[in-house]
Amino acid sequence: MSDRAQKTALVIGGGIAGLEAALTITGAGHQVVLVEKSPQLGGTTRELYSSFPHWENPAELLQGKIDEVQKAGVQLRIGFEVISSQKQGDIYQVVLEGPEQKREELVADAVVVATGFELFDVSAYGEYGYGSYPGVVNTLEFESRLREWAKGESKEAPPKTVAFIKCVGSRDRSKGYPYCSKICCMITAKQAGLVKEIWPDARCHVFYMDYRAAGKGYEEFVRSVIEEKHVRYTRGRPAKILPEDGRLLIRTEDTLMGVPVEIRADMVVLAAAMQPGRGTVEMSRIFALNTDEYGFLEPVSGQAARVGERVFAAGGCIFPVENQGALQQGAAAGAGVVALFNQAR
Amino acid sequence: MSDTMQKPVASFFPAIRLDEVDGALAKEIKEECGVDVELCLECGKCSGGCSNGHIFDYTPRKIVQLIKLGEKQRLLHMDALWTCVSCQLCWDRCPSEINVARVMDYLREQTYRENVSPTRKEVALFHELMLGSVERIGRVAETRLVLEFNFKTKQYTKDTDLGPKMFFKGKLNPFSSGIKKIEEVRQIFRKNPLRKEV
Repeated sequence: MSDRAQKTALVIGGGIAGLEAALTITGAGHQVVLVEKSPQLGGTTRELYSSFPHWENPAELLQGKIDEVQKAGVQLRIGFEVISSQKQGDIYQVVLEGPEQKREELVADAVVVATGFELFDVSAYGEYGYGSYPGVVNTLEFESRLREWAKGESKEAPPKTVAFIKCVGSRDRSKGYPYCSKICCMITAKQAGLVKEIWPDARCHVFYMDYRAAGKGYEEFVRSVIEEKHVRYTRGRPAKILPEDGRLLIRTEDTLMGVPVEIRADMVVLAAAMQPGRGTVEMSRIFALNTDEYGFLEPVSGQAARVGERVFAAGGCIFPVENQGALQQGAAAGAGVVALFNQAR
Repeated sequence: MSDTMQKPVASFFPAIRLDEVDGALAKEIKEECGVDVELCLECGKCSGGCSNGHIFDYTPRKIVQLIKLGEKQRLLHMDALWTCVSCQLCWDRCPSEINVARVMDYLREQTYRENVSPTRKEVALFHELMLGSVERIGRVAETRLVLEFNFKTKQYTKDTDLGPKMFFKGKLNPFSSGIKKIEEVRQIFRKNPLRKEV
């Protein structure tokens, strides 16, 4: 089968990484079937109101990629999931399941897994009261709140004080994961900055252990949020959120002074850790992929994107990553597929 | 003088209410000293290299932090104000060019304006005598300064060995003459009185 005239790659996941992989492969003249289980393309990027470090609206980037994918003739299977696969020589015989249990079989000469990450369930922290106190929200819930505020769609009174707690589920051996989720520092800085932009009179407090801004323009981005937008950063990991007169009282220590501090806030945003999604775990099982101890896909040593036999990965299913990184990884995975296809010619 | 000024500041901290920190002190420091504490990276390079940091109750990094927290009374009562020698190493080495020495100067002035008694009275006295000399003759009359200081602090025999030696080597002039345009110097003092007119 490997000498079929035109080869087909299966891309699983229609976020920014999957879209870019699909574009790279079709750009080299090969066929792509792109499977997306949700009713829309875009993945996590679709849920974002703004991005760092340029405060750009990611919807524009996303729409551009979706238009290109459609123009490039990528066969889209929206609302479909990969439910099984069998490897026969150099091909995978894959079964998809779509709306109303509609099944479809296809043959793929290579696979790109781009199933993204999902947020850690922050209700694991009883001390923060997520799920009990309506003012406590996670990163993505707050992102849609920002969009509503910015568009004037919200009827709520503007918040007087918004507090952000970083590392909720990250860097925590007890209730979460020992790893750093890498992008929450930047997301938090962005969200806090946006609050000040939308509600200039609101107070914004970020509680942090340190801020990790390792990327081009990232340090400057965080500093501008502190120095120009006047978001207050307090070093310390909050211990407890208590309801008080309809507001939220946060208790913590200013570890730079070694003194207890507290703050009353109207809203608390928990920067949730990112973990491999259900789809990623499923795909690693179906395609027998390399994974790390947490279930993220792990590229074969010394390779950028290959995670199994004729299978490549990109984006948040490898580890939490921002749009720019997902784009680069999508291109790398796509290039891996193209190199494989061209080799066999 | 308001009553709160002389109340001793507890060495422990009751929980600071962050939502009540209005940023007024940070703003005051920015306007009066040209120092923006928001630029602080909290790295501690100032404190690590501070020439007297080992005897400070609050090291330079903590002083910047206390400004952010709006703890003015704690700052005005701190001992470090009177053990800082204004060497400016903190400023010289700060990656954000925060001039802590300038802030210390400003805070010392504020203790005068708000009648907070210095924790090291002899240091304040020395500052006072030195500035008094400048106001009087336009320069520091060293011999008189030393004598006055030792007399007022009741250290009558201090420097009796060193003084004559320095004199005979020409390092100490017992008769400092005033400068010509002393009136201009006095103008400066009149424009910026350290003590409020009572």
